[in-house]
Amino acid sequence: MQPLEPLQHFLPQVWFFILGLFLFLYVLLDGFDLGVGILSLTAQGEKRRSILMTSLGNVWDANETWLVLMGGSLFGAFPLAYATILHALYLPLVLMVVGLILRAVSFEFRENAENKMIWNITFGVGSFLAALGQGFALGTVFEGIKVDELGHFVGGTWDWLTWHSVLVALTLIQGYVLIGSTYLILKTTGELQKNHYRTATIATWTTLVGAIFITVTTPILWDHARDLLFTPPLIYIFALIPLLGLALIVGLFRSLKLQQEAAPLVYTFLIFSLSFIGLGFLIFPKIIPPSVTIYQAAAAPSSLVFMLTFVGFLIPIVLGYNIYNYFVFRGKIVTESH
Amino acid sequence: MLDAWLDTVTLSRLQFALTAIFHMLWPVLTTGMGIYLVIVEALWLKTRNITYYHHARFWTKLYLLNFGIGVATGLPMAFQFGLNWAPFSEAVGDLFGTLLGFEGTMAFMLEASFLGIMVFGWERVPPLVHFVATICVAIGANLSTFWILSANSWLQTPAGGMFTNGKFIVQDYFQAIGNPFTLNSFLHMFLATLETALFVIGGISAWYLLKKRDTEFFSRSFKLVLVALIAVAPLQIFLGHLSAEQVYHYQPTKLAAMEALWETVPAHTPADWSILALPSNKLEKNTWELKVPGVLSYLLELKSTLDAPIQGLKEWSPNDRPKMVGMVYYSFRIMIAIGTFFAALMGLTVWRWWRGKLAPELINENKWLLLSWLFAGPLGYIAVECGWIVRCVGRQPWIVYGELRTVESASDLPPGVILFSLSGLMLMYAIFFVMTLYFGKKIIQKGPDLTLPVPRMVVPSDSAQHIPDQRPAETGQF
Repeated sequence: MQPLEPLQHFLPQVWFFILGLFLFLYVLLDGFDLGVGILSLTAQGEKRRSILMTSLGNVWDANETWLVLMGGSLFGAFPLAYATILHALYLPLVLMVVGLILRAVSFEFRENAENKMIWNITFGVGSFLAALGQGFALGTVFEGIKVDELGHFVGGTWDWLTWHSVLVALTLIQGYVLIGSTYLILKTTGELQKNHYRTATIATWTTLVGAIFITVTTPILWDHARDLLFTPPLIYIFALIPLLGLALIVGLFRSLKLQQEAAPLVYTFLIFSLSFIGLGFLIFPKIIPPSVTIYQAAAAPSSLVFMLTFVGFLIPIVLGYNIYNYFVFRGKIVTESH
Repeated sequence: MLDAWLDTVTLSRLQFALTAIFHMLWPVLTTGMGIYLVIVEALWLKTRNITYYHHARFWTKLYLLNFGIGVATGLPMAFQFGLNWAPFSEAVGDLFGTLLGFEGTMAFMLEASFLGIMVFGWERVPPLVHFVATICVAIGANLSTFWILSANSWLQTPAGGMFTNGKFIVQDYFQAIGNPFTLNSFLHMFLATLETALFVIGGISAWYLLKKRDTEFFSRSFKLVLVALIAVAPLQIFLGHLSAEQVYHYQPTKLAAMEALWETVPAHTPADWSILALPSNKLEKNTWELKVPGVLSYLLELKSTLDAPIQGLKEWSPNDRPKMVGMVYYSFRIMIAIGTFFAALMGLTVWRWWRGKLAPELINENKWLLLSWLFAGPLGYIAVECGWIVRCVGRQPWIVYGELRTVESASDLPPGVILFSLSGLMLMYAIFFVMTLYFGKKIIQKGPDLTLPVPRMVVPSDSAQHIPDQRPAETGQF
């Protein structure tokens, strides 16, 4: 064994973990953001929509930054994966970017516009498109990306579009609606809050159906997933995850029924975390499923160390001021009359 | 003809160029304006003069409008390298990706996270915390400039490692980050954003002064801008000169295109400088030109004759030199003309000020001067765009100068797919451009709110009490 070998294993793993963390924070934070956006399409009246958008005003761009962060880190740490995955997912990612752009400009334009209707619609539609694009990308990750022996993309332009990826995308959208609803339960009062107890309950059901579907079909449809899933010791972990998930969903239903304010969001966070851990186990150590590993796609060890030195000490700082930001704007959204 | 336009590389280049040119319009203002906002807020905290507080609030409105669109239009920039330029991303990812990763982590995150407090936090955090947030936003934006310019400079003067089997292997990161172009390019761009923002603020102030609206308020911002420009405008010309000199030393093909120089000028001879020319790629010469003898030697070496030859475009085969000579040539001249005009306008206005003609009660008698400022308002944008065209079109046919060609760097995507994303993005960007102007105009027409009271947090009261979330409370809860 060469002296560098442990390092060449360890560093890509550290970066896989960091990227996972960025993606996880993105999905959680922009997840409720996008969810609120999608819900705004169903909101009755301008006043309610205003409250919905106000609840995001100070956080949306910080939330979205985690995606930029993940893109940049993927580029630096796993250049091959960045190149191949973005190439393979061109259309869904353009869809996502277009959606995010529409959403972001709606905030600024709506603020200044007299006729707010058009920007309300672009905000909701943008949120939906962004979630849809992400859902297709996730679906494609389950199915795998066709590459040659060098790890370059060799599939077709429309590979990402299958009935399975459509269902994964719809499930992700439901998940975002769920987390958006539970966030709004925390931030609002009165009729609006009651309304989101309802949307949260519906979204819990639809997400549950989608999740069961994905859990069952993944090992049936994809050989690589099946091989991984039914080999000890992972089989125990995979047996545990759905059980824990069911327990959390029961807890979520209960807290919605009891009309608790913070608990639904906490349960949703935990459910997202659990799904994410499951996905992580399913993919690791692949970075371009099903064939290219993190070790093949990683940048040179010197690059990984160099990036780690700087990004490593920044992560706690970034997390710290994000938490401070949420703390500053804690509490319900109220108006002057209160 | 149409076929030539429909190939993958051309479409990817077009998409990159157009998204970059449009995206630039928004951050170029906010990056410079961030520094202005820090200055205004510092004056507010130091003097406790409420007018500075009102300045901070008023200009923040324009800032926010531009920031949001800047973030939105920047997203394709962050993803485009992988989407359209996968072979490039893979070849130089070890370094280029690291630098862009730093831009995201250190710079953009800092800016985006503190923006919430800067815009909505006046009533919720103590003044000093708010000031720190404003500073962090400004630092974040300028750190972005640094990392982007470091990455782009590396494309111009690749240093710190070598290409082995088509992949760049980094040997020294600090050498790569601090490649020959980085420092000058960063400072040139830093001043460019500042100068653009200052002339936008100056131009808007001039508009109010011409309209005799809030004269007291806007003659203050006008003078603040003027004081800053006394340092910035001449320094920018100096840095521009240093940058051109660097191009001469490191990128001879680009310099030849910037000057539309087809024939080599040998050493120890004076070199002429052309003011205007009609370059023809086909004939490999300028079909017409207007020259000033000996000026180029002075510009490059401050001497009447040159120590070393300046190579003309014909020294290289057509495949190894930029094809859009006219575009590079005129972009360069437009940038220089605007920079010179800025310095002259600043000089003239300072002279009027010194003569006592800019007192608030006299200021709108300087009609032609204020009109010139109004005219100067958008010119900074044009200069910045022209500078980037010189920088990046002049680098062609290389994506990494002398090492990696642009044609070898594009993803193998069907042209129709790129055409789809290209037209979608263009349509959106064009709409955003028009909407930004429209809403910017609305904000300006509405004017500053001079009745806004001092934020509660400045007068400490029962601050231990829980403050509810109270952002732009535009509606009633029910």
